[in-house]
Amino acid sequence: MMFGNPLTLLTLGPIVAGFVFLFLAWASPPSKREEISHYIRILIFSFSLLLLSLSTLMFLESYSGISWTSIGLNNYVYDNCANADVALEAGGCSLIDGFGVSWHVGVDGLSFPMVWLTTLLIPISMLVQWDAKKGAQFHSLILLMEGALIGVFVSLDLFVFYTFWELTLIPMFFLILLWGGDDRKYAAQKFFIYTFTASVLMLLGILVMYYFTRVPVWEGNITGRAFDVTLMAASSNQLGSSFLGGFGMQKAVFLLLLVGFAAKMPSVPFHTWLPDAHVQAPTAGSMLLAGVMLKMGAYGFIRIAVELLPAALIYFQWLIVILGMISLVYGAFVCLGQTNLKRMVAYSSVSHMGLIFLGIATMQPLGIAGAIFMMLAHGIISPHLFAVCGAFKHHYHTLEIGSMRGMAKHSPWLSGHMMAAWMASLGLPLMAGFVAEIAIMIAFWMAFGWLVILPALTLIITAAYYLWSMQRTIFEGGEEGELPESLHGEDPVDITWHENAGMLVLAGFAVLLGVLPFIFFDMMSAYSGEFVSQVLLDVLNEVRP
Amino acid sequence: MSDTKTSEMRFLPIIGIFLLYPFLRIFLGEFMTGTPFTALDSAFLIPLLPIAVFPVIAIVGQLSNGEGWWRDQFKEGGIIALCTLAISLSLTIWLAIEFFTKGASFHEPLEWGLFNWFTFDTIGQNAAGDWVHIQISNSIGVGIWIDNVSMMLLFVASFLCFLICWFSIGYMNTDPVNKDRNHRFYAEFVLFTAGMLGMVLADSFLWLFIFWEIMGLCSYLLIGFYYERPSAAYAAKKAFLTTRVGDVFLLIGLLMMYDIYGSLEFAVIFADPSMGGSVDVSMLRWSLIMLFIGAVGKSAQFPLHVWLPDAMEGPTPVSALIHAATMVNAGLYLVARFVPFFDVTSHGHGVEGLSDVAVLIAWIGGITAFMAALIAFVQNDIKKVLAYSTMSQLAYIFTGLGVALWFYNHGEHHAAVIAFGASMFHLFNHAMAKGMLFMASGSVIHEMHHAHHHLAHGEGDHDDFDPQNMRNMGGLAGKMPITATAMAIGSASIIGLPLIGGFWSKEGIVAETWNAAALHGGTELLIPAFLILLTAGMTGFYMTRMWMMTFAGKPKTEFADHVEEQTPWIPTPLVTLSVITLVGGFALAVLGATHWLGEAEALGTLVHEHGIVLAILETLVHAFLPTDAFLFMVTWITITISLIVGPAMAMRIHGGKLKDGDRAPQLISWIPPLSSKFGRANVDELANSGLADALHRRLYFDEIYEWAISKTVIPLSHALTWFDTNVIDGAIKGIEYGSQKISRDVRKATTGSASDYILVAVIGMFSILILLWGVI
Repeated sequence: MMFGNPLTLLTLGPIVAGFVFLFLAWASPPSKREEISHYIRILIFSFSLLLLSLSTLMFLESYSGISWTSIGLNNYVYDNCANADVALEAGGCSLIDGFGVSWHVGVDGLSFPMVWLTTLLIPISMLVQWDAKKGAQFHSLILLMEGALIGVFVSLDLFVFYTFWELTLIPMFFLILLWGGDDRKYAAQKFFIYTFTASVLMLLGILVMYYFTRVPVWEGNITGRAFDVTLMAASSNQLGSSFLGGFGMQKAVFLLLLVGFAAKMPSVPFHTWLPDAHVQAPTAGSMLLAGVMLKMGAYGFIRIAVELLPAALIYFQWLIVILGMISLVYGAFVCLGQTNLKRMVAYSSVSHMGLIFLGIATMQPLGIAGAIFMMLAHGIISPHLFAVCGAFKHHYHTLEIGSMRGMAKHSPWLSGHMMAAWMASLGLPLMAGFVAEIAIMIAFWMAFGWLVILPALTLIITAAYYLWSMQRTIFEGGEEGELPESLHGEDPVDITWHENAGMLVLAGFAVLLGVLPFIFFDMMSAYSGEFVSQVLLDVLNEVRP
Repeated sequence: MSDTKTSEMRFLPIIGIFLLYPFLRIFLGEFMTGTPFTALDSAFLIPLLPIAVFPVIAIVGQLSNGEGWWRDQFKEGGIIALCTLAISLSLTIWLAIEFFTKGASFHEPLEWGLFNWFTFDTIGQNAAGDWVHIQISNSIGVGIWIDNVSMMLLFVASFLCFLICWFSIGYMNTDPVNKDRNHRFYAEFVLFTAGMLGMVLADSFLWLFIFWEIMGLCSYLLIGFYYERPSAAYAAKKAFLTTRVGDVFLLIGLLMMYDIYGSLEFAVIFADPSMGGSVDVSMLRWSLIMLFIGAVGKSAQFPLHVWLPDAMEGPTPVSALIHAATMVNAGLYLVARFVPFFDVTSHGHGVEGLSDVAVLIAWIGGITAFMAALIAFVQNDIKKVLAYSTMSQLAYIFTGLGVALWFYNHGEHHAAVIAFGASMFHLFNHAMAKGMLFMASGSVIHEMHHAHHHLAHGEGDHDDFDPQNMRNMGGLAGKMPITATAMAIGSASIIGLPLIGGFWSKEGIVAETWNAAALHGGTELLIPAFLILLTAGMTGFYMTRMWMMTFAGKPKTEFADHVEEQTPWIPTPLVTLSVITLVGGFALAVLGATHWLGEAEALGTLVHEHGIVLAILETLVHAFLPTDAFLFMVTWITITISLIVGPAMAMRIHGGKLKDGDRAPQLISWIPPLSSKFGRANVDELANSGLADALHRRLYFDEIYEWAISKTVIPLSHALTWFDTNVIDGAIKGIEYGSQKISRDVRKATTGSASDYILVAVIGMFSILILLWGVI
């Protein structure tokens, strides 16, 4: 059975359900809309919890006894084409026979944490914005988004991958356009056009690789090629430097992919869509954007560019270091100059994504594992950051740093969450971000020595902008604090129970992964270790002068 | 008030039950599993319990704020915190008993592995230039490692944290300012304790760093406890960022250390720091220097000392806890862990050629000791005096450690052991005395505040009366007998009054520094040696000055005249620590604490061999009549200037008899009359001089740092922000605008709405596919 697979369920389930609920919400009679909307939201939320428990069960191995730390390179678990009767090369799970497009899904130490993260963040983002206007539609779109996002992480066919990649834009586009801030139209368009342009470059790279991936022709396959990433990897491994017709083409494709993925991550200089999109996006949208969508870039980069073109990775190591370093340092300094809380947090994402590039550029198993862990850690911490920003916007109607003071007095819970999220993001030990940082830094020293001074000193700048922003929002300001003008005389309030619950879960996971990182780190480490020992070491020794 | 009094009494038996906990554990463990539990098996609970209690107090406190049972029965979380710390303390004591019965030491530490934090591979180039695996499935572990020094610090930390928590219940909960927010204090307090205890127990440099940072966080939170005050919010940020600067270097040091040894665990590194002689000495040197910069930041040494005085913005128990008794010792502990790298004697596998690092440590210590003592001369805030005194005393220990490391690296084992042991012993004595001094100052501030509040009938809350300013005090010896006595004993210990706590260790440090500088050819240590000798006298001056301004003479304000010592929960810790300072130092000296901490002998060797009387005599002779003539001279110069010159000068300026009718408590009743015998010196001219002004402004460090930041980081951030919006985003907007214009011109039909873009996207995708099909 091609579709009888939990990953297929995780991908297509929410998409189908999302459309159904969207239709229900749209078709409900206006007189009963409120009531129906309420039930729809509860249904959607329970459905997303169901998916979360499914992915957690998958993780706990109780589903089929999987050892997450012993997955070989280019092997996947929950692989729907792994059985002999549906062999991939024979077109066993072919979706579009003519092009060699297959429905091929599977997860490994790189993609599974992202899948789990997505299923975790979806219910939390719904919870945080439980009281959104037109809640039924809003939550249906988020559910649609979940399917598309998981699709990106699980599909091993680059055609399907690309389809899901673009599909994620559509719900996010509407989330920004319909539920966003004052300048939402501009932001939504910028977001869409920008990332779409970048992904066209990526598509070009994928198509070139497709062109060079010749496979045994199965019935109905007209082109004689396939989009399957496992086949491409096998081909890359087998052909070595003559993959893609030669090293020159490899380099060209690598650059195309790099630009495509760097814009998504985003890395300087392709990052300016991010602050605009974040500031205008609704809270849940921001949380998903920062939590999962940015990781798509990093994931795609590792899965496609790094895994398939290791020689080009070594060739362009310097470029990746420079991109990562600039994103990290430049991002941190720009954060220091921001006056809008959400913009600052958005730029901090840019800064942290730079660390992922640095981790990959070390070409150490530890560094790559650290980069992957950074994806997970940032995926838990940044939604917390944005949830806090959203709460400020929601309850105080402003995001200007310095327009309010001493809000800890009026919003102790919100301030507590701000403290927790801010500290997690600046890399406090025993929280998830620190593990990623220390792993990347150790590997970075091994690879580049004293150059580590730059990222290390950036830690001070990071601490500076976070602490400074806290000092000027929740601290200072006398016994009663200074209320922002945007309140217009309303009484300041604390966060609601559902915001609080969602944020508490995020804080809990940030601490859990900071204290017991091996839960996910070891599978990432196994993945990167496999990759390095199977592929990278050989290539390194080949290109060694 | 009587209510709180009885609640303290009611609480005493509960503490007793918690102290029984280990025995219950042993009994239950044996009963249930058949094998006896050891203290080491439970040692991980020492930091884990407080960590686990942190969210409990924070969340329960936030939810049940203002409710009667929470405020009265639980003291807003204080009781929960105190019980937790009682368990930690009793586990520590149990562990100490096991430590001594097993005869553990640095070479046979108590070790206990918990779990692997994470696992990974690393690759690198071998000698032939091939890329190969260096490590496969290497893990960073989590575990416990206890030797003499960590045992001592563990006890100091858990004991002082417990006492200070006790004190806090009296100090914090009786002040209306803190109403309904003490849960935050206690939550952060236990987390802080967990940080300190975890750092001491850690079995690797990485976990040392992790808990180190946790303490940094708690320090930030506790300094900023009164977050609504701009000064407190500023001080908290400053403390975090300044120590962060040090921490970043520490982190780099760790990375280098990992690169050298392929591990950060003590057991692996200390087994052979020289790696059979193949270690890269210059890299190791840099690594140690980087670690030392981290220690400088945490222990507030020159030039990263600027945060400590500002940190006095926190409530006084916090000052006692963090900025005297525990956290600032973290840096010392880290430097104490350097010993195996330096030890080239037959006892270790150290690396030769590191003595310049030792000299650096001694120099930083000497400079800070002198500078801090100098600034302490002009402080009028009682807590600031203590803050600078802390800085100065920590610097003593740094100097001592530097000298010890210098000796180790020159193969002088005996002298190294004494210097090292004296430094660690000074850490102990200083922690006990300074914890008490801060609590005593808290008691003074608390009662001053009370008196002011009482006299002003609650209306004076907003005037600028400063209950911490010593110029508002005076003559308190007659009003606050316990506090005055405790303060006198603590000051005596810091000054180094013979036979009391600090004397034993300080003498050792000064003597060994001179020993190295003058008798072992360490001319590069001469300046630190001079500086700390001078500082000994200066310590005598500023500590006496503080006591005199506060407790001697006539009351300088009517509030000081109406002070009463009446708050419950406060005196108990003061009395406990007074006793420890008064007799504990001597007792430990006789037991040979210096040698024990220096890993030379078991505790109590001397007593075992010669009996108690001879041991006391020998200790005394050794301290006062060193056989070497030069050291004899150094010893007596130190005693003279610290005990006579410094205090006498302070008494001349600030001394005086108490108000008629007031009587100082028995033990110290002789001090105020004595202080009036030295005549009066007029120092107005000196007080208005440029030097005094420079000292008041803390020698301009803050100004220089702020100026440097405002000229570099801030403009750079503004410039880059401008660049981002105008150049990078500007370019994007330009392209956007241009392409929009073109598209408007070309296809008038475009509405510019989102759905069209999606349509175009879909069409584009399909056209590419069709194209491909056609081509191939």
